[in-house]
Amino acid sequence: MRFITLALLVFAVACGGGSDKPKSGETAAPAKKVFNYVRTSAHKSLDPVKQFDAASAELINNVYDSLLEYHYLKRPYALAPNLLTKLPELSADGLTYSFELRSDVKFIDDPCFPGGKGRALTTDDVIYSLKRFAHGQLNVKSYVLMQGSVAGMDEYRAETLKGGDFTKLDISGIKKIDDTHFTITLTKRNPLALLPLAATQTAIVPREAVEHYKDDFERHTVGTGPFKLKDLQRRGVTILEKNPNYHLTYPTEGQPEDEAKGLLAAKGQKLPFVDEVHLPLIEEPQPAMLKFLSGGMDWIGIDRDNFVKMAFKDDKGFHLQPEYAGKFDIYAEPRLSTEYWVFNMKDPLIGKNKALRKAIAYALDSAAFVTKMRNGRGVAVSTIVPPPIAGSENDVKVEWYRNNLEEAKKLLAEAGFPGGKGLPELTVEIRSSTTQSRQDFEFNRAELAKAGIIIKPSFQTFSAYLQRVESGNFQIAISGWQADYPDAENFYQLLYGPNKAPGPNSSSWANAEYDRLFDQARFMDNGPERYALFAKMHEIIREDVPVIFVWSDIAVGLHQKWVRNFKRNMMIDVPFKYFDVDTKLRAQGVPGAK
Amino acid sequence: MLAYAVRRVLYTIPVLLGVAALVFLLFHSVGEDPVRVALGTHATPESIAELRAQWGLDKPLALQFVDFLGQIVTFDYGESYNSGEQLSAMFAQGAAVSLWLTVPPFLIGLVINLVFGLLVAYYRGTWFDRLSTGVLIMTMSISYLVYIIGFQYFFAYRLELFPINGYEHGLAGVKYLLLPWIIILTVTAGEDVRMYRTMFLDETQADYVRTARAKGVGEPGVLLGHVLQNALIPIVTYTMVAVPFLVMGAFLMERYFSLPGVGDLMITAINNGDFPVLKGLTMVIAIAYSAMVLLTDLVYAWVDPRVSLR
Repeated sequence: MRFITLALLVFAVACGGGSDKPKSGETAAPAKKVFNYVRTSAHKSLDPVKQFDAASAELINNVYDSLLEYHYLKRPYALAPNLLTKLPELSADGLTYSFELRSDVKFIDDPCFPGGKGRALTTDDVIYSLKRFAHGQLNVKSYVLMQGSVAGMDEYRAETLKGGDFTKLDISGIKKIDDTHFTITLTKRNPLALLPLAATQTAIVPREAVEHYKDDFERHTVGTGPFKLKDLQRRGVTILEKNPNYHLTYPTEGQPEDEAKGLLAAKGQKLPFVDEVHLPLIEEPQPAMLKFLSGGMDWIGIDRDNFVKMAFKDDKGFHLQPEYAGKFDIYAEPRLSTEYWVFNMKDPLIGKNKALRKAIAYALDSAAFVTKMRNGRGVAVSTIVPPPIAGSENDVKVEWYRNNLEEAKKLLAEAGFPGGKGLPELTVEIRSSTTQSRQDFEFNRAELAKAGIIIKPSFQTFSAYLQRVESGNFQIAISGWQADYPDAENFYQLLYGPNKAPGPNSSSWANAEYDRLFDQARFMDNGPERYALFAKMHEIIREDVPVIFVWSDIAVGLHQKWVRNFKRNMMIDVPFKYFDVDTKLRAQGVPGAK
Repeated sequence: MLAYAVRRVLYTIPVLLGVAALVFLLFHSVGEDPVRVALGTHATPESIAELRAQWGLDKPLALQFVDFLGQIVTFDYGESYNSGEQLSAMFAQGAAVSLWLTVPPFLIGLVINLVFGLLVAYYRGTWFDRLSTGVLIMTMSISYLVYIIGFQYFFAYRLELFPINGYEHGLAGVKYLLLPWIIILTVTAGEDVRMYRTMFLDETQADYVRTARAKGVGEPGVLLGHVLQNALIPIVTYTMVAVPFLVMGAFLMERYFSLPGVGDLMITAINNGDFPVLKGLTMVIAIAYSAMVLLTDLVYAWVDPRVSLR
């Protein structure tokens, strides 16, 4: 056995198969710039209208374009034109947007086009793509993003469900003016209506490709994006290749600190910078991190175990341990998500006893949860809106329940259960049964037990969890919401009466005053007037406690020293087109490595 | 023998029906709801109904089961819910990788472990036997995952003898498979050698061995000419039942070394409630297992003339 093992070792060395260090392809002339990034799950479909998962969106975002995109550098997150010459203009009545397409946008060369040459983008492509998005049989996953928003779109969708040639049906609210101009008319004034036009689901596709590739279209992309697919492997290494005809340039403005960080050094330069993006699928954190440490990956998110080993947080922020500090750069960027506990207001115990809900709110310790269970990679929140979004606690000065054991005990007695006597075990629905979710539950169980509140877990599969919550078959559920778009409305709607279960308002809480204020605030521009309404809504939530806001996540990760223009943007998961690689620095390898 | 083979093939039909029923019931009773997994938190009653209809999950269960049986007969399991790919293509691609991962160490291990098992049986009771047994038990006692994580860290990352992970088709993929092969050989050695040792020891105490020795046959002749031949029946059984599982790959190995094999495919399908993939893979494995058991019985007759098949 040892002989064979030795022989294999010798063979391995002879094969020269060892190192994961940066490949020498980058030192050969002409130097090819390759950016390496780990995919942690396989894509499902590369047809924009058939996907609603992060892995698919990551690829689609790099091979297709939507009409709009989020500005790479500006915060708070703001829309920027992508396929358009400028942001759409709104008519005086606030109902119709006018769009002007760029004239320099071309689809990539592909056999689906006459002569194999990619043609210019036109209004017809936009209308065709939006019709596909609204098609009842093609898009069963993401239509909710624009439901009820565009005049005639819901009616068109209903028609498509009957079958037939959808291209002969029209959406009355979308009008072609000429090859580069069109208008979209809304059903009502809605400043949020443009946001879905930055989503990957509304990416623009050419009709020729859809009809040429038919069922294979979801594996064969023909877009206008910064890259094109060179090799698509669901479970191997997917390779993206630079689109030399890409139309966009690097942003010329950003946040005040971006200049000093070198993030504007490339302003105005043609995108993308790297020749290829290599995307191996590595589902386990350990090999992915080893690959990164050896220089074989350029950017990686850091999981809890590796964070404990490699990094720490103090008052000044996140830092790498001395062993890693000179080798890599660490970043931390708040995610646009909130985790919260939901009380089922239809439950005869928890739904009818406000003092009990308040007691639980006081007994939970969100700050300690973030510190102990997430190593500080998050923040305890005071509103339902995560901090990076306008309308969060940064803008709305409000209070929320903070851990106060005495207050919790007092309220528990007020609820009719002094010291927890007579209070039955409360069941908490949890949407997974991973080690982390079990550890999280134990932490919360211990915190609540200090006040005399006993909870028991109900670990569910994701789908079973959704079924329970949406059918109202639960007492308490631990829930979370990831922003569909960076606006507070997307979070306050989680408690809007008409959205009650099976909608996103899982608590089935309904408060007429809250709903009225929400209707008033939802389509207002951000500013003091809107924030004042949010404050009133927040007070109603605080008084009635249908939910407990707990925490919001912070994405922490590492990138190699040779990566340029890196700024984590939570609305663009993998913005490869902006990244550059210093090939000379890269050729030297990871500083201090063997 | 032909009549026996035909009869055995017919016997497998109720077995496969049972497997099909079990898979179907498990999927519908405890598995993830694929529609809810696909639609996530943005599901509306309309979108749920539409997707259920598209995937045929709105039909009565009995009808769905009949459709499933039809797929088993035609070997057409349709497309993955998850990726829209044809299952036959997914399975062919995954099986090639899994077989590339498992067959070489299986064959190498078979030869090495048989020889080693024969040696420790021959030197039974000596320091060599005791030391070998101790080391083998130690290797068996360590978790598969520990080998993977430890070997990957030490041999691939620290010593840079192998790539950390990855895969390429054909011979170019060998460099990615060497470390997984070494791990498989290391992990399986303990159990296999001890099993073979026991089988050989059973035979070495038989009367015919004593007779052979009494007739003056040398130890190599006894071991290779008598013991090995007579121990073949249990060895064939032990080895052949492992063969169908080779195509399943080694889930942990595939996951940690990013090898796109069948094991990883199966686990991903379970997590996503991808029923077409699950039922396809399960039935293929069940059929392969049944075929291998039949083949094992036929091989018995070949290796041992005393066995007659009726």
